[in-house]
Amino acid sequence: MTPAISVAGLTRRYRGQLALDQVTFNLEPGSITGLLGRNGAGKTTLLRIVAGHEFASAGTVTVLGASPARDEAVLRQMIFIREDQAYPDLRVRQVVRAASWFYPNWSHELAGALLDAFGLPCGRKVRNLSRGMRSAVGIVIGLAARAEVTLFDEPYAGLDPVSRQLFYDRLLADYAEYPRTVLLSTHLIDEAAGLFERVVVLHRGRLVLNTAADDLRGAATSVSGPVIAVEQFTAGRPVWDSRRVASQQSAVVAGALDETDRARAAALHLHLEPLTLQQLVVRAAGTPAASPPEGASAERTSA
Amino acid sequence: MSTWIRVARYQLTALPGYLGLVLSWVLVFLASLVRAAASAPPRPGEAIHYFVSIICVFFLLAGAQGPARQLPFALALGVSRRSFYAGTALFAGAIAAVAALGVTVLQLIERATGGWGLNLHYFRVPYLLAGPWYLTWLTSFAGLTLMLAWGMWFATIYRRWNLPGLLAFIAAQALALLAIYWAHHWHGWLVSFVVGTLTIGGLTGLLAALALALLAGGYATMRRITV
Repeated sequence: MTPAISVAGLTRRYRGQLALDQVTFNLEPGSITGLLGRNGAGKTTLLRIVAGHEFASAGTVTVLGASPARDEAVLRQMIFIREDQAYPDLRVRQVVRAASWFYPNWSHELAGALLDAFGLPCGRKVRNLSRGMRSAVGIVIGLAARAEVTLFDEPYAGLDPVSRQLFYDRLLADYAEYPRTVLLSTHLIDEAAGLFERVVVLHRGRLVLNTAADDLRGAATSVSGPVIAVEQFTAGRPVWDSRRVASQQSAVVAGALDETDRARAAALHLHLEPLTLQQLVVRAAGTPAASPPEGASAERTSA
Repeated sequence: MSTWIRVARYQLTALPGYLGLVLSWVLVFLASLVRAAASAPPRPGEAIHYFVSIICVFFLLAGAQGPARQLPFALALGVSRRSFYAGTALFAGAIAAVAALGVTVLQLIERATGGWGLNLHYFRVPYLLAGPWYLTWLTSFAGLTLMLAWGMWFATIYRRWNLPGLLAFIAAQALALLAIYWAHHWHGWLVSFVVGTLTIGGLTGLLAALALALLAGGYATMRRITV
């Protein structure tokens, strides 16, 4: 099957600064992927190149089997909504209507429902909207377009939690009915974690993790309890981190735990808690060497 | 082709933003007529050509608006640079055609009313807009398309290379003008060539060729623009 997005050896330099360094990954059609990483990791640059807004210094990008920089037919099946999306000097209604002209699968019904749900004033000029409302306009367009490949770069900047939840719910509901490839860049990892079927993590322009989200969940567990019990339990296991306060200790153990492990932990009166996606991404992108979590094995790409 | 038309339609959405300027032009024009009528005695045969010049400047600025304001959102919607430019050029051509029709109609009225009853020449520019109505339309169309294409190229240069690129572009044009001035000053060929040799039909062709060259230049610049 032709990947929806295929990136091979992608490199982008800006006057000596390396924004992307030999990034390689494939995304299969019909999936929601989280593009994660710290500020300056190269997420926006990657999305811009995939959308054909920017050009690579080296490497190749294909979307639905063709280059987005050259193939118009591919571009017509894509939409890219950015955090700092610039809009023409028009009213909300006009902007949404203009966007509808470019997408054959555009849903006027969904657009109308989202405009109402976000409480967007259709008669007001986009430039006069608050930051959150401008983000909502982008979300309305990005979802209603029902484009084959949908790219969101921090689409909910300034949006309140209720509106963000609305975005997650509507995205999932519409995706279930009209599956497409969604690549979503975000810093609100745990909030959006439920959406992701796949996770791609960049760190300093390099791909440090590319794995199925399910493989990542449960890839590491926090074990806490009395020092002696924790030491007994963690003996012989890879431990990422260990902290001790008086007679209590907390350690992060890499690798999935089975029923026997859990029973043993219960017998030792230990508290087990799987690491959240955000904690795992922090581990992947936040450590000096940016080493990927060891429990996540699928298609891992080391830096 | 259909994407070009969709882009042209998208550009059309910005048109109401210019209505204020068009209205201002109409009001100033009417005020000029009233003032001329009130002045005693009216100066017969007076040529007031800056109203046509204002239209040209307005089109230059309008041409610069398309790529500057409309491009980022168009690219977000999956429009290619090529389609965006072609659609914008299509829109520019349509707008120039309509505006040229307006100039032609105003010139016809001016002729029919003996210069608005005051023997004034607003839209009868010697040599340039002095022929039959269809030639007035054609020359106006070519000239206004040229101004739009020029403005579009300015905007694409700025989008691609920012201020340094824009300054270099202006400097290159200033050098070209200096070269033309120098050639004219020392050899005196320019005026004799244009007025003596070139018919108004030929000049219209020259303007059209220049407009096409500017559009080609703008397109070449647009191909590697990033947003």
